[in-house]
Amino acid sequence: MPPAIHPVQLVEVLRRKQLTPAIVFLTSRRACDEAISAFQRQEGSLPPERTQAIATVLEQLAVDYPSITGHPLMETVAQFGVAAHHAGHLPSWKIAIEELMRQGQLDAVFATTTLAAGVDFPARTVVITQSSVRKARDFSDLTVGEIQQLAGRGGRRGKDFVGFVMITPSPYIDLQVLSKGLTGFPEAIESQFVISYPMVLNLLKAHPLDHIEGILAKSFAQFQLNRRVDVHQNSLDTIHQDMRPFGPRVCTDWISQWQVYDQARRRHSQRRPASQPDPPGTAAKLPFLTPGRVIRVSKGFAVILRQYRSRGQRYPMLSILRAKGTMTESPAMMVNHIYDHVLEFTTLRAFPWCSPTTLSHLTHELTQLPSNLPVLPVLADEEQQNEESLTPVLTDEFACPTCPSQPACRKDHAVALRLRQKEKGIIKTIHALRTGLWLRFQKKSHVLHKFGYLTATSELTSEGDWARLIRIDHSLLITELIRMEAFAAIEPALLAAVMAGIAHDDDRPGSYQRMSPGLSTMLHQVRAVADSLASYEDPPLLRTDVAALTEQWISQPTLSWANLVRKTAMAEGDVYRLFARTIEFLSQIQTLKISHPSLAETAISAITTMRREVLEELP
Amino acid sequence: MTNEELTGLLQALPLRQLHDLTRGRVHRHFRLGKRRLIEVILSLPPESRSLLEVDVLKPKRQSPHQPSLENSPQPFVAKPTQKKGRGKAKLSASLEPPITVSELLDGLGVPTAQPFHADPWQIEAISKLATNDVIASVPTGSGKTYVAIEATRRALEQDQTVIYTSPLKALSNTKYMEFSQLFGADRVGILTGDRKDNAQAPLLIMTTEILRNLLYDAASGQIDVRLNTLGLVILDESQYLADPERGVVWEETIIFCPSQARLLLLSASIGNPQDLSSWLTSIRAVPCHLIHHQNRSVPLRAGYLHPDGVMVPFFRTRDITKGRGFTFHPETKRLLAQYEGETLGHRNRR
Ligand SMILES: Nc1ncnc2c1ncn2[C@@H]1O[C@H](COP(=O)(O)OP(=O)(O)OP(=O)(O)O)[C@@H](O)[C@H]1O
Ligand SMILES: [Mg+2]
Repeated sequence: MPPAIHPVQLVEVLRRKQLTPAIVFLTSRRACDEAISAFQRQEGSLPPERTQAIATVLEQLAVDYPSITGHPLMETVAQFGVAAHHAGHLPSWKIAIEELMRQGQLDAVFATTTLAAGVDFPARTVVITQSSVRKARDFSDLTVGEIQQLAGRGGRRGKDFVGFVMITPSPYIDLQVLSKGLTGFPEAIESQFVISYPMVLNLLKAHPLDHIEGILAKSFAQFQLNRRVDVHQNSLDTIHQDMRPFGPRVCTDWISQWQVYDQARRRHSQRRPASQPDPPGTAAKLPFLTPGRVIRVSKGFAVILRQYRSRGQRYPMLSILRAKGTMTESPAMMVNHIYDHVLEFTTLRAFPWCSPTTLSHLTHELTQLPSNLPVLPVLADEEQQNEESLTPVLTDEFACPTCPSQPACRKDHAVALRLRQKEKGIIKTIHALRTGLWLRFQKKSHVLHKFGYLTATSELTSEGDWARLIRIDHSLLITELIRMEAFAAIEPALLAAVMAGIAHDDDRPGSYQRMSPGLSTMLHQVRAVADSLASYEDPPLLRTDVAALTEQWISQPTLSWANLVRKTAMAEGDVYRLFARTIEFLSQIQTLKISHPSLAETAISAITTMRREVLEELP
Repeated sequence: MTNEELTGLLQALPLRQLHDLTRGRVHRHFRLGKRRLIEVILSLPPESRSLLEVDVLKPKRQSPHQPSLENSPQPFVAKPTQKKGRGKAKLSASLEPPITVSELLDGLGVPTAQPFHADPWQIEAISKLATNDVIASVPTGSGKTYVAIEATRRALEQDQTVIYTSPLKALSNTKYMEFSQLFGADRVGILTGDRKDNAQAPLLIMTTEILRNLLYDAASGQIDVRLNTLGLVILDESQYLADPERGVVWEETIIFCPSQARLLLLSASIGNPQDLSSWLTSIRAVPCHLIHHQNRSVPLRAGYLHPDGVMVPFFRTRDITKGRGFTFHPETKRLLAQYEGETLGHRNRR
């Protein structure tokens, strides 16, 4: 038996059971194209009147979208009534397939899951062959929401009494994931609010600084953070309840008194040197680095098993379990992120700090964590410092030994101290959740001040006033390049080529392209600037091949789309998207008419030349 | 454990269980066949290997989350989050005989054309927009576009400006054509980064990013579109709020949407529409009205198609029910076990 059903046989079965039209979701563009080639090797074809009907629709569409004419798959579509639909195709071709599908002219469309959202593309049956998709260079399981978007295309209102989702196995399928997706409820939306440089500039352009915190508080991010504050607030209330019996005694703050006394006493007897204070960043983190806390270290998620400080070590250490199942020792300062997520487990005093079952359970839990786990913003504060490094004092300065409350204090101290530490931790968490966004805003505005886009009082400088109009990824790089006059008297082709290099974030391979010496030098410079900004903004891919391809398209206005596409290994749809995104970037530069009139002119001229043939078909 | 011992133990396990064992330990484990999986397991670093050995030696227990498909004589019931109290209802459900293929395919066909009657939820959404912001979170294919169109019609009748946004240019183009046909090309405009076609039209189509930029420009006093008469802003596919890169744009748009304009959020797949609605209510001038239901207008059924072309029902029951776990159809279970066995054999022969 083959590992997966043959596409031709699949369509046959669907036709026989009257389950067409169908959308068949496949794992890759290549799989979709191969399915169509499988049909091309077949004999048979549709009845002539259907072939004719499809050809007619395509001809009509070609009036508005000339690039449909002569599309290599046109005949196959008309002959077999099947088509492929994926991001490697031109938008015009996708529009044609969608229109044919809406009219019910096709029996099957082989598509990738990028079709899932937003395209109006219904069918009687949806065939699912996979349970995971490639996201950001890695495979991950489809979410419930995604599975329901896919399956939901089955059954057209007014055209079907019932819709079907057909699941057919392939080596890439996990039926549990699919079944849960079909029968479960979609995931909750988690805010993905990020504060970008353009956001800071635009907010400060329109609003005074003291309004900003209030505006950020209106975000869904803060709404959800407040929800988490409520939860913490509840546990804080419980702790306060538990702390009732440990209120003021002979001295008001007997817990600290006893702690200092106790430590001083021990130190006195052991004559240990006072430990070095931790650096402030680490010190602020320490209360959160408790067993069960999920953190990010260089290579991904990990969970803390214990915190300790060895005799010879200056800094606190962590025993952590990584998602791969490996256990490592890591200095506390190597923790990149602390998440607002704790995996509960019972700790043990000896290696491996919990039971083996717990270990494997934790490992599993780690792999199940969503990639967008909320980060716990940790604020470094000064108070912490003093607390951590209690200055050694001599015991005879304390009243404790003779105090009437001494027996009670001795007995209760351990419990009371733990409660109070918990309380402090929660108060810190709440504070962090409440002020996190504002803090991140301040960080960004600090950088903008450093670069001269904002004054010390957070008003826009003349530079900031135009820079706020660049509202795309890599905005800092682009505005810095403009400020250092990297684009002075530049040719439209060169400007567009550089923008293409900055805009393109896809790593599908292209082919080597010839480029002008000017572009080569220019890209070198841009890369140097991008690298120098790396600690403030992630550098772009700056692929030379896409830059060169863009340069050719503009510097050779007679170059046809067909000839251009032939030069690269990139799919037609990818080249189209590259150019569309480049135009989008150029159009932002075009808005700098007042501050940089000649640069804006160059951008307009580049856009005008770029918009020809296929790129003119759609707005 | 020596390599031979471990290999022996692993060989004896069904593939499914190997996948369970390697989940989280081996990258892309689900792409590998049995032989490859075993090879990879043997080359794991010592710590994770010893953990895995512990798991292999554990007495085989059917965990509710990762049940093994093979060797399970009783009907296979997966219970994702089942509580004890539900047990009874579950049992009786699984005692009903599983449906047959003809039952699965029964009733298939094309309904005769019916005069159009708007659904109650559609009417509710449109009328509520007079006084509220509205979120419509209803399944795919329910007719959210109808709500958008009717709400637009009403706003246009009152000489208001309407902005429709979608996350994708492709969708914007489709809607541009659809709305131009409905309302007349002269009354519809489309805005992209570099092009403004008919930007003074009362109905404007754009991507959400363009609207966000427009709102920023308006906030700093440079308006080039008629925002003062803005009466309705439609955000289609608003589940994009959860997009890691672009989600923030939806938040910015909602925060800065002028208070006199009504917001209409359309989406099919949101797990927490109530949260979204409370959020809108907390920051907007008028309360948000939430319309949320899970009833598909065309019922959906699931089938299993074996690579040899045999078709059987996927679940025991015909309709897909939400939130109550699931039970595979016995035939699906049998065929799948066979599939795993055979593809395994297929691989071993090579
Ligand atoms: N009340 C109704 N009665 C009958 N058919 C309807 C009704 N409302 C909408 N329809 C039809 O339902 C089909 C699907 O509608 P629509 O495209 O608006 O779905 P949607 O909810 O936007 O789905 P998606 O989540 O895929 O965007 C359309 O063909 C539409 O004509
Ligand atoms: Mg829709």
